[in-house]
Amino acid sequence: MAITTRVVERPVNEASYVRATFQGLALTFKHLVDPHKVTVQYPEEKWDIGPRWRGTHRMLTTEDGKAKCVACGLCPTVCPANCIKLVPGVDAEGNRYPAVFDIDEFRCIFCGYCQEVCPEEAIHLGRHYENAEYDRKDFVYDLTRLTSQTHAVCEMWDPADPRGE
Amino acid sequence: MSDQKFVNLTIEGRQVSVPEGTTILEAAKTAGVLIPHYCYHSGLKIAGVCRMCLVEVEKQPKLAPSCATTVAEGQVVNVYTQKALDARKGVLELLLINHPLDCPICDQAGECELQDYTFQEGRADSRYREPKRFNPAEDFGGDVLYVTNRCILCTRCVRYMGDVAGDRALCVEERGDRAHIGIAPDHDLSHPWAANVVDLCPVGALVSKDFLNKARAWELDRTASVCPNCSQGCNITLETRDEAVVRMKPRSNDAVNHFYLCDEGRLNYQWINRDDRLETPMVTGKPASWDAALAAAGAALKGGSAHVVAGASLSNEALWLLKQAAGVGKFRVAKGGEAPLPGVKDLALRADRAANATGAELMGFSRADNPLATAGKIVLIAGDDCTDLDTSALAGASTVIAICTVIPKGLPANSILLPIANFAEEEGTFTNLRGRVQRFLQARPAQGLARPSWMALAGLAAAAGKNGAFLSAEAVFIAMAKTESAFNGMSYDSVGLKGQMAAGAGVTA
Repeated sequence: MAITTRVVERPVNEASYVRATFQGLALTFKHLVDPHKVTVQYPEEKWDIGPRWRGTHRMLTTEDGKAKCVACGLCPTVCPANCIKLVPGVDAEGNRYPAVFDIDEFRCIFCGYCQEVCPEEAIHLGRHYENAEYDRKDFVYDLTRLTSQTHAVCEMWDPADPRGE
Repeated sequence: MSDQKFVNLTIEGRQVSVPEGTTILEAAKTAGVLIPHYCYHSGLKIAGVCRMCLVEVEKQPKLAPSCATTVAEGQVVNVYTQKALDARKGVLELLLINHPLDCPICDQAGECELQDYTFQEGRADSRYREPKRFNPAEDFGGDVLYVTNRCILCTRCVRYMGDVAGDRALCVEERGDRAHIGIAPDHDLSHPWAANVVDLCPVGALVSKDFLNKARAWELDRTASVCPNCSQGCNITLETRDEAVVRMKPRSNDAVNHFYLCDEGRLNYQWINRDDRLETPMVTGKPASWDAALAAAGAALKGGSAHVVAGASLSNEALWLLKQAAGVGKFRVAKGGEAPLPGVKDLALRADRAANATGAELMGFSRADNPLATAGKIVLIAGDDCTDLDTSALAGASTVIAICTVIPKGLPANSILLPIANFAEEEGTFTNLRGRVQRFLQARPAQGLARPSWMALAGLAAAAGKNGAFLSAEAVFIAMAKTESAFNGMSYDSVGLKGQMAAGAGVTA
């Protein structure tokens, strides 16, 4: 069968790119002069993140500034990513405390099990997303860093309805 | 025994037949039912104080404490009826009234019977609203710390100290909700077998000071082993965390140590983790490959008969290979005080502080106070670190070969050193002083280039022109059982984890 070519008559005034280009430019110039801004003006302005946001960890402290952690060992046990290193110790008053408490935030999968399992409500995930560092090793958060951070913490459940009923 | 009468009964719908006089609790174990209990322990006298083991026996109006009720013909026992469950739930609720909620910092958490049974059968919450009673913790001496608040007054410790250890140091003081375990004036738990109360305690009231806050129970890896600290050969479980031994616990074996382990045995484990180990073969002071070191040692052994010094803590397999490679020799045994446990027949911390002196003697090695005294030109030291030994005789030796875990003291600079694993890092068998051959398994990896002692000595035997073609400790044991009359007919399967008596060893000594 011979190959044939069918020439389509295009409606020039509808299919021309010239008109579409000017229409697009018009929209661009309109937004250039329009004072209403649609995007979030980061970093001056920050998005309001949800109460259950699971970000990098924070360790809460008692009134005298010590970590609430008693080194019970539940968080390294429950952690599915095996990112928590905990070595228990005994302080001068005979209380159990974490001699070493390191969280590798690279390994962490932010499941929140550590916060959920903690009997002392010590370790929390943070409502926080600005995690940049200059050095990879700074992503292993030690106890000093975990206790000194001040950002808001994740709310795993609604305090008014803890069982989700 | 043959005229023993058997009683047939039904427990949880299962027919069991047990000897007359057995308690319902023990009979239930044969039916595969573990009735919750606190005060009962098969090694102690029955007290019946905790009321946790209440079960329903058909046609009996009241619930029966199964630990103190003997079986009767045709009895029908129901463990999980609503009546029995309610009673045990009530017992647990009362036990928990004053029990602190400190599981996160309690050493017993994870292996606590109060946790386990509360999880199985207890209430989810407490109805008790008053403040809990508080008593400070008390140091009981020895290795034992008494945390009064956690105590459920099962009195296992009181009965153990009185009936088994023969030292009535503990008693129940005060009454009612003020009751606690008290220690008699001028007494402490420094009895050589006192730390067993820590194992007996079903909760975290009596805890080991040595193990306090070191590790959580569920983080530990457990390995069946044999205590290497004296010739009694108590069966133990080596518990390791991050490849370091953190505690030793007794493993029950009615033929050796029942449920017990002495304080000296259980606390003497730090040497297993020591980090000043010989980690690479050395020839004349320089690190060498295993092949080069074994070739040098084999060439030296071919040059004449060697004076052999064996370690009394080497395994049977290693001693037999040593005998194959260089013939029998002498060994020394560290001595210490003997401390029997009065309540158990033939159980003591023995004067011979070495695990395998009997095995060495059965193999033909002989005891000597100074095994180096008659050293000749070629000296082979295996498994003895020469601590407190007069090594002046080594000065005249032309070749010294040391097969060791740490570099022995007083060796000449041109010695050949072969690193071996210690007993926790290899597999093997020990023979205890009654001739019972018992297996121990590997609990942690060998350090550096160290090889298991059987592997190092098999290599040495091969280098010396003898048969050293063995691929496992079991293969060595099979070959040994063929040639050594004392071990005839034995295998790792027949020895099992409870041990087997060596032929001819009998009940000497």
